[in-house]
Amino acid sequence: MLFNSHEFIFVFLPVTLAGFFVLGLSSRNLALGWIVVASLAFYAWWRPINVLIIAPSILVNFVLARWLLRLTADKGRAGLARLVLLLGIAFNIVFLGYFKYANFLATAANDLVGTNFVLTQVVLPLGISFITFQKIAFLIDVHGRRVSSFTLRDYGLFVLFFPQLIAGPIVHYREMMPQFQQARCRWDSENIAVGLSLFVFGLFKKVVLADGISEHVTPIYEMATAGSEITLFPAWIAAIGFTLQIYFDFSGYSDMALGLARFFGVRLPANFDSPLKATNIIDFWLRWHMTLTRFLTAYLYNPLVLWLTRRRMARKLPGLGGRTPSAAAFFGLLVGPTMLTMSVSGLWHGAGYLFILWGLLHGVYLSVNHAWRLFGPRNWSNRETYDKFMRPTGFVLTFLSVAVAMVLFRSTNVGAAKELLQGMVGLNGISLPQQIHAQLGPLQGLLQSFVTASTVMSAQEFVLAMAWLGVLLLIALLLPNTLQLTARYEPALGVLSKPAAPLSLLRALDWTPTAPWAVALSALAIAAVMRLGGKSEFLYWQF
Amino acid sequence: MTDPDLLTVFTRILRDLLGDDSIVLAMSTRRNDVDGWDSLMYVTFIVAIELELKIKYRVADVESFETVGDIVTEARTLLG
Repeated sequence: MLFNSHEFIFVFLPVTLAGFFVLGLSSRNLALGWIVVASLAFYAWWRPINVLIIAPSILVNFVLARWLLRLTADKGRAGLARLVLLLGIAFNIVFLGYFKYANFLATAANDLVGTNFVLTQVVLPLGISFITFQKIAFLIDVHGRRVSSFTLRDYGLFVLFFPQLIAGPIVHYREMMPQFQQARCRWDSENIAVGLSLFVFGLFKKVVLADGISEHVTPIYEMATAGSEITLFPAWIAAIGFTLQIYFDFSGYSDMALGLARFFGVRLPANFDSPLKATNIIDFWLRWHMTLTRFLTAYLYNPLVLWLTRRRMARKLPGLGGRTPSAAAFFGLLVGPTMLTMSVSGLWHGAGYLFILWGLLHGVYLSVNHAWRLFGPRNWSNRETYDKFMRPTGFVLTFLSVAVAMVLFRSTNVGAAKELLQGMVGLNGISLPQQIHAQLGPLQGLLQSFVTASTVMSAQEFVLAMAWLGVLLLIALLLPNTLQLTARYEPALGVLSKPAAPLSLLRALDWTPTAPWAVALSALAIAAVMRLGGKSEFLYWQF
Repeated sequence: MTDPDLLTVFTRILRDLLGDDSIVLAMSTRRNDVDGWDSLMYVTFIVAIELELKIKYRVADVESFETVGDIVTEARTLLG
């Protein structure tokens, strides 16, 4: 069931919390077991068969992890331990591959060699990409001796905990289990107040802001899919609009996940930290979907770079970094692993060519950013003037790069992406709604050779879409984020308040359980609840 | 090799890599403390140590080292 649905907010959540607190009075084990049962019910809600698919894979992983735990305790069996780890990783990748990529692989094969394979549509279990990565991370952590003991209940709780089950954050066992083991399992006013506030912030972002802008974005993408030419302004409304839609959608989901976990006294790791404020693309990826970046860096990029560096330096070739980096090292040790990691990231998001292209494009962005750091002007006369010039430049470049890439992410086929990208660079011409075009006055004559009147969007739709973009950009770029507002209460693992400047907006808006905040959050909650009821899934739930 | 011996070797390696003879590593030194010692150079530094001492760090350990002291301690363990 959706976090933003009546049945979740008014039935599932109160019943789950009541059961947790009541059982917590007699036994922590019972209360934690109750979370597992509730999480299974939550997962089974859409399609009960989902549980029948995911449960055996959890059991297989559990058995392999227990075996691995025994093997790693015995130094003489390191080889077998490595084999079991590889077997576990392979099992999870094949499992994910079958459900998520079988159809795509069949299509790709048909495209490549002109065959005509038809697979019965495989049903994609919800959140399978998140769950699979988390299970792989667990096996690697057991092999790396970062997990010393666990039971089936603990493992089930770690994999199935419903606040982060469907769309992350992707958590580590070692950061979650100590919290469950120490949870009081009792009503705690501070946890409830912080959790409820985070949940309301997130719900508002999702159902009011993200769903609000989507009404202006979706029709343009549908027109592009249908093959209509998209002119300059609608193309940019669609590109920036979708960037803001997914921003508030994922940010909203992440806040709700943090809030829900906090009801149980658990802090999840931060997953989202105002990525649109980033002033370079490396910074963007340290702020957007932070736990996916952490996973890919730790388990794919770093091991790969280490392996390649060892091979290279063993041949007496220089490694990367320092004051005189070589171009060969840059391409071999940075561009290659970055492109591979980002294409895996693209493929992880979705089984389709456009997702892979999206990942590769981000790989290019990251490589350019690293190249600038390594080979760009190092000796700018003054650090202050460098920052003064480069930070705004970097911000604009980063924002535009992200928005362009999002066109690939959102488009349903290559033709739609091409229409929109062409439109964004003006190849489909420039048009304004007829009513606005008619009001141009003397400018009309001046602009008539390249600005035409169009009936595709009404003046009202155009102005409303622009207003939405303006308001959402102001919120995303100028206001402190939820983690900053509630930092006094450690809203996410390790996120603590930093001293704010005396006259800053952050100091003025610092969240505390006071009457003004209660009124403000009630208003947000009412606005959000009034918009509940539509079938508006989180964008990241499809992954 | 003792910890001070290892620190001397580590300092020499990092000086060579960064071309900076003023670097002096201590057990408590972190990457941020040394100008130019970014994440790219960190991997190069680790592999240079491996080649010099003929050891091989575990990938998971390479990611979790926070100070030079952590790298020294693990090297001592691997050297036996």
